[in-house]
Amino acid sequence: MEATTYNYKVVRQFAIMTVVWGIVGMLVGVTLAAQLIWPELTFGIEWLSYGRLRPLHTNAVIFAFGGSAMFAVSYYIVQRTCQARLWGEKLAAFTFWGWTAVIVLAAITLPLGYTTSKEYAELEWPIDILITVVWVAYALVFFGTIIKRKTKHIYVSNWFFGAYILVIAILHIVNSAELPVTLTKSYSAYAGVQDAMIQWWYGHNAVGFFLTTAFLGMMYYFIPKQAGRPIYSYRLSVVHFWSLNFIYMWAGPHHLQYTALPDWAQSLGMVFSLMLLAPSWGGMMNGIMTLSGAWHKLRTDPILKFLVTALSFYGMSTFEGPMMAIKTVNALSHYTEWTIGHVHSGALGWVAMITIGSMYYLIPRLFGRESMFSTKMIEWHFWLSTIGVVLYIAAMWIAGVAQGLMWRASNADGTLTYSFAQVLNTMYPFYGIRLLGGLLFFCGMLMMAWNVWQTVRAGRVVNDAPIPQAVHA
Amino acid sequence: MDSGLISGIVTIVFVIVFIGIVWWAYSKSNKQRFEDAGKLPFDDDDTPAKQGDKQ
Repeated sequence: MEATTYNYKVVRQFAIMTVVWGIVGMLVGVTLAAQLIWPELTFGIEWLSYGRLRPLHTNAVIFAFGGSAMFAVSYYIVQRTCQARLWGEKLAAFTFWGWTAVIVLAAITLPLGYTTSKEYAELEWPIDILITVVWVAYALVFFGTIIKRKTKHIYVSNWFFGAYILVIAILHIVNSAELPVTLTKSYSAYAGVQDAMIQWWYGHNAVGFFLTTAFLGMMYYFIPKQAGRPIYSYRLSVVHFWSLNFIYMWAGPHHLQYTALPDWAQSLGMVFSLMLLAPSWGGMMNGIMTLSGAWHKLRTDPILKFLVTALSFYGMSTFEGPMMAIKTVNALSHYTEWTIGHVHSGALGWVAMITIGSMYYLIPRLFGRESMFSTKMIEWHFWLSTIGVVLYIAAMWIAGVAQGLMWRASNADGTLTYSFAQVLNTMYPFYGIRLLGGLLFFCGMLMMAWNVWQTVRAGRVVNDAPIPQAVHA
Repeated sequence: MDSGLISGIVTIVFVIVFIGIVWWAYSKSNKQRFEDAGKLPFDDDDTPAKQGDKQ
């Protein structure tokens, strides 16, 4: 018999874990920010040292917080826009428990110091294999649902999710090719500059396809829904989709400007990064213009504020990114705090804010409530987050430019004007402002947790959301 | 073939592909289809349940 309801259980599980992992990941981030000011903060315990916690932070916020959010919304959106129940119920449940197992394993192994040392791909080979298995299950569930859809068309969000699932699979498998020596140690299959190029092809496309393409799929569903009108131009979204995916693939070399990478590859990375501006801004405009005629809603609806502010940060960081890829700018910005500022303008401003807005939309619907427990609290969360991000990125911009200029300053006889320690000393006030910004953002997440808890407590588990039974051509 | 020629060919191919995509997306024959697709999120009512139906 054909299913008459949607599978909300797995969506609910991932949605709740999004909030939990968000708090965990950001708490580690705040700890790191404080360690940069007070290095002895964690009493010299090696498991909590900066070098061990840093990969834990990036893995937790990208793959645990962002990953859980993506599972939740992609499962929700693919069902609702295909008007079909998830294909492979057991596989879907497996993706939840499997992904959670990956996160727990990461939280154990990274502080213990087990690492491949590849950025954003630090997890050792047994965990890599588990990720691959979970990801294949994810792909089966997602594309299986697309195949059994009752609607004629495939909504643009699902195109973005499909590209994300496919590309992340390729990136993970290629970059994680490694020779295991023991259960906890492996060596990369690549060496030298090839290894670096593959790593940053992976690293940049993890940003491109995990943190951008996937979350654009989120944007293309929740902004129209919350604004109550279809996307400004669906045709533009089609062009956006293809051009973004085409161009992103080639931008990775900008992480390796002025290295042993051949010069033509560096230039290629720079040019493709510059071209990325066009589809990125096209997509941003498309999202923002969806509000035309509904701008007044922004005054009263904090969920919409989250979604639209996220798009503004998306626009800002996709302008900043191409600029930083220009070789001469990169010569100043690379290895400085500016990069950290850029990353967080994208990660907090874009990824976290679009996720938070989407969760505030989603959670009441998953727990049979008309709205979140407290709308006022969402408003507070919004302002805390916005002020937090602005403080964070402004501090890092100033710190980064100062750092870059001080590093390159030289005396008439060719010696360096400033020692490393002098430059570090200049950073302290900015590290303080950054910590404050991060703390504000983190406090907002705690408010969200409380709000979600109250919503869930007063609600009921929705397992009976009906699939429309209309006949489709 | 030197790398300059290859770059040239690749650039031309990419430009043609891009023009093709834009032409396809904006062609008249596809107008209705994309408009229908854009309405998909609204074909399906998901207004949240009424307040207080705790079970």
